[in-house]
Amino acid sequence: MRPQHFPHHPRHLHPGAWWLWAVGLAAAAGRTQNPVPLLLALAVTGFVVGARRSTAPWARSYTAFLRLALLLIAVRVLFQVLLSASAEGPTVLFTLPSLALPATSGLKLGGAVTLEALLQATYEGLQLAVILCCVGAANALGSARRLLRYVPAALYEIGVACVIALTFAPQLVTDAARVRQAHRLRGHRGRGLRGLRRLAMPVVEGALERSVELAAAMDSRGYGRTTGDPLTRRRTGLLVLAGLLGLCVGVYGLLDVTTSAWLGAPMLLLGALVAVTGVVAGRRGHTGRSRYRPDPWALPEWAVTLSGVAAAAGAALDAHLHPALLVLASPTAVPPVPLLACAGILLAALPAVLAPPPPDSATPAARDAASPLGVAA
Amino acid sequence: MIELDGVTLTYDGASAPVLRDVDLHVPEGELALVVGRTGSGKTSLLRLVNGLVPHFSGGRLRGRVRVDGRDTAVHRPRDLADVVGLVGQDPLAGFVTDNVEDELAYGMESLGLPGDVMRKRVEETLDLLGLAELRGRPLTDLSGGQQQRVAIGAVLTTHPRVLVLDEPTSALDPLAAEEVLAVLQRLVHDLGLTVLLAEHRLERVAQYADRVILVPGDGSVVSGTPAEVLATSPIAPPVVELGRVAGWHPLPLTVRDARRRAPALRERLTTADLPDRRTTSGGVVAQTTDLTVTYGRVNALRGVSTRLARGEVVALMGRNGAGKSTLLRALVGMRRPTSGRVEVIGTAPADLRAGDLLRHVGLVPQVPGDLLYTSSVGDECAEADRDAQVPAGTTRALFDRLSPGVPDERHPRDLSEGQRLTLALAVVLAARPPLVLLDEPTRGLDYTAKHRLVEILRDLVAEGHGVLLATHDVELVAEVATRVLVIADGEVVADGPTVDVVVSSPAFAPQVAKVLAPAPWLTPTEVAVALAGSEVPR
Amino acid sequence: MTPLVPLRLRSSLALGAAFVVGIVAFGWPFVVQPGAALDTSHSGDSPLVFVVVLPLLAAVVLSELTSGSLDAKAVAMLGMLAAVGAALRALGPGTAGLEPSFAVILLGGRVFGRGFGFVLGAVTLFAGALLTGGVGPWLPFQMVAAGWVGFFAGCLPRGRGRLEVLVLAGYAFVVGLAYGLVMNLWFWPFASYGPEVSYVAGGSLVTNLHHYLVFYVTTSLPWDLGRAVLSAVVVLVAGLPLLRALRRAARRAAFDATAVFE
Repeated sequence: MRPQHFPHHPRHLHPGAWWLWAVGLAAAAGRTQNPVPLLLALAVTGFVVGARRSTAPWARSYTAFLRLALLLIAVRVLFQVLLSASAEGPTVLFTLPSLALPATSGLKLGGAVTLEALLQATYEGLQLAVILCCVGAANALGSARRLLRYVPAALYEIGVACVIALTFAPQLVTDAARVRQAHRLRGHRGRGLRGLRRLAMPVVEGALERSVELAAAMDSRGYGRTTGDPLTRRRTGLLVLAGLLGLCVGVYGLLDVTTSAWLGAPMLLLGALVAVTGVVAGRRGHTGRSRYRPDPWALPEWAVTLSGVAAAAGAALDAHLHPALLVLASPTAVPPVPLLACAGILLAALPAVLAPPPPDSATPAARDAASPLGVAA
Repeated sequence: MIELDGVTLTYDGASAPVLRDVDLHVPEGELALVVGRTGSGKTSLLRLVNGLVPHFSGGRLRGRVRVDGRDTAVHRPRDLADVVGLVGQDPLAGFVTDNVEDELAYGMESLGLPGDVMRKRVEETLDLLGLAELRGRPLTDLSGGQQQRVAIGAVLTTHPRVLVLDEPTSALDPLAAEEVLAVLQRLVHDLGLTVLLAEHRLERVAQYADRVILVPGDGSVVSGTPAEVLATSPIAPPVVELGRVAGWHPLPLTVRDARRRAPALRERLTTADLPDRRTTSGGVVAQTTDLTVTYGRVNALRGVSTRLARGEVVALMGRNGAGKSTLLRALVGMRRPTSGRVEVIGTAPADLRAGDLLRHVGLVPQVPGDLLYTSSVGDECAEADRDAQVPAGTTRALFDRLSPGVPDERHPRDLSEGQRLTLALAVVLAARPPLVLLDEPTRGLDYTAKHRLVEILRDLVAEGHGVLLATHDVELVAEVATRVLVIADGEVVADGPTVDVVVSSPAFAPQVAKVLAPAPWLTPTEVAVALAGSEVPR
Repeated sequence: MTPLVPLRLRSSLALGAAFVVGIVAFGWPFVVQPGAALDTSHSGDSPLVFVVVLPLLAAVVLSELTSGSLDAKAVAMLGMLAAVGAALRALGPGTAGLEPSFAVILLGGRVFGRGFGFVLGAVTLFAGALLTGGVGPWLPFQMVAAGWVGFFAGCLPRGRGRLEVLVLAGYAFVVGLAYGLVMNLWFWPFASYGPEVSYVAGGSLVTNLHHYLVFYVTTSLPWDLGRAVLSAVVVLVAGLPLLRALRRAARRAAFDATAVFE
């Protein structure tokens, strides 16, 4: 078997696999507000990120998302407990001084803080927080930057523009710092709005000039060598128009009562897919571009994707067979353990072993020196 | 390989053609050096080969340009990507991806080459240009020379037959420039590429050229062997000028050639008077005592003690990273000393308020455009008058003296490099600071602008300013500096009159000094004056 | 100046479809009739179809606008302006709701045309998310909303000088508020902060509007006011020089340059 099929061969996993895994886990989390599977899912994301994270700077985004998720729960709890007049249960923890708000808004400020309200808000916030952490895990493991290499040919220009934006944004920041230093030499403190304008203009004008230079370089290196075949364009144009028509019909069907169920969401989805097919088919085969060293889609990618699918499937099965296990009867009751959903979520922890570790970025010489026998790995 | 037949090029909205009836043939496998002032049409000539002119820039082209048999009227620049590779001055401005390997592969991806061919060519190019250890690195982490080599590699992977380079070494220090030029030399010899290279610093490249193409600026083009063209060209490296002064035929192009013919000249010069290099220097204008500047755990300057006086031009030389910029920043107050003292007219510059700083010391940064932020020359001068609190019109008058003939409405970014430098200098000089600092002023300047700068600096010291120049340009130092300070690894390694420091050291010696060593001659003008003096009949 | 991204029939149709679907995707709580498929009193999942459809539609629209019709100069200009916007997003407190990059998007749309404005908005938001490492399900919605910001900036009436800057500043203020108003709509029906501010499935238009406004004022108005004011101030202060710089760059880039051979 070729080395990319082995889980222990270090390489970058195809970022799409990580995103599919995260979507599966998020779908599982979205089905329930039971804290047991939710906390399990949170633990699984943390575990997999810790095991398979690379040292690149974007790998730190998981902690940022985690912090955001905790903030979300806190805001949710605060809002529910302080402002909402409903979901109050019998168990009062303490009472805050209350302020009278106009009756039309239907809110209250302060008043009794109950355990039921607290727990309810926490569980609801937890669901959203776990979904957020799944997205954070996907960002950290399958960097969206690497995903830019797999942009379909139909969106090629957008992909190039994104790469240019990502490449030059840090340079603009360095330029701004340099210009600010230079302005101090002219006796400006750089404060206030005038200072900002004086800083912004050289940086923006430099960026605009550089864009022309960049365009000349791209042109010289063969950008845009391809032309489209007019017949194909017309055919795929029809496909796209049909898809758009389907979209409009689907939208109408979703809103109107008298139409059948088939004219709603399914029509919408179908229309979208037809339009996308039209667009993709129109460009493929006519770009004349090839791809340098694409990441392969091998067994580890399948394993990671399927583990995510397993999590989603487990939760869906449980929702179908034992719906009572996924919902809490009352906030203060001891939460039940939905076995199928938890089993699926635990399966989603497998990528920590099944996915290949990210490659070491050290030079071969340093790696040889580090190895005890000095033998190449 | 490259053929221009009766080419006349006029840009949209221009009154006169840039190139008029140009006939040029560059055979295969030659390294052709394109020489000319800024704005003379050099860049247009280079971009004609690529097809960027007129497809990208617009314009009217009469005549025919053919590269490897392909006519650029029919082939757009993207169609010529597998025949011509273009490399510009600023490598970062042409990078489309963010790491070395992807950048090398980009051109091939656009051509649609299969994956294994791309793999093979990337490996070959990495080896050819010595970039193998840099393979996965982000492009912004590389040094200037490495970036330029990656830019060359990125156009090489499509296996072009012609390489066109527009001032590739102007933003590089001498060591990096050497690397890049050595690589080009190897490409011509081993791969048989035809290379068309535009350069200002002829002393670096003249020895490699098989052909010199002079663009005088009147629309014509003169092409021939280096010895022919440089004999009468107004733009020539110092070695060639020395040959003209000494009357050598054929003219030497390298220091080695010149040294072989030097003994006779040395004989004549032993009886000549040495140039009068004494300068009147006035009071001390800046002083550093045991100056130490540390960034975190890096010692940028260690115990630097020196003195700058009015009326002298001090050149600050040293490798990149040796501490030159740190010393300049300390003198301007951008860096506080970790220990030791810096004083400009008695006060520490870091303690001065921004408004007072202008009256003590002025710094023209490496990119003079950083100082300019308005949209017209007139506004810029008015702002400078306001900042320096001097009567309106002072800066404009200064600028007119330095670079006459620039209208008020011109946008500062539309000025030439030399004009932008003088505008920044005028802005700095508005408050009449006694100490003027310049960081790499000759980067990107052609010979005419450099001569102008030399005159300006001489005028400045005559008026009583003190000037400190941080530079790599040894020819500039030979022309204008009275004293040289060499910094290495944060310490002052040499500090003395130019002649003493420069003649004995191979890294800092100008071409004339290398030819006539150990005799203390620095510029062809000095030699010419000495010879004229010694030939006056008694 | 001819627009950088011309709006042909197909791209206009795609934009129109995106507009219609977008309005429904955001505004369905107000217009759905009880008993229709979207009515969440029966099954809570159907609005999620928009989470899947809108990104696909955004991809179709962007592809129709740009595929095969952007040359190197237009792509480089798009990338650079998106770099400016993305750098501002990454530096500025984007998470607090402030969007300094809106000024760049609407000025770019003004100078280079409606189609360019739409694409610039989408690419700026996408690049900003990639820079800050935060790509999530909200991104396609944000991209489309920012795209509309750029699009309508290109539709504003002609004018020059101070008047143009004032009009653009007013537009920036309105857009800052509208962005928040609309972006909150997409998760409001699923949020349950309390029955007084939540969506009432099957309730009347007036009830739901009332609930939404209360929700908006209590959760999002301060951020949105801040964003609106910041955008308007940036446009007022730096609008004139930025417009001049963009137009000068457009002239120098010679997007309409023609090569004549004799």
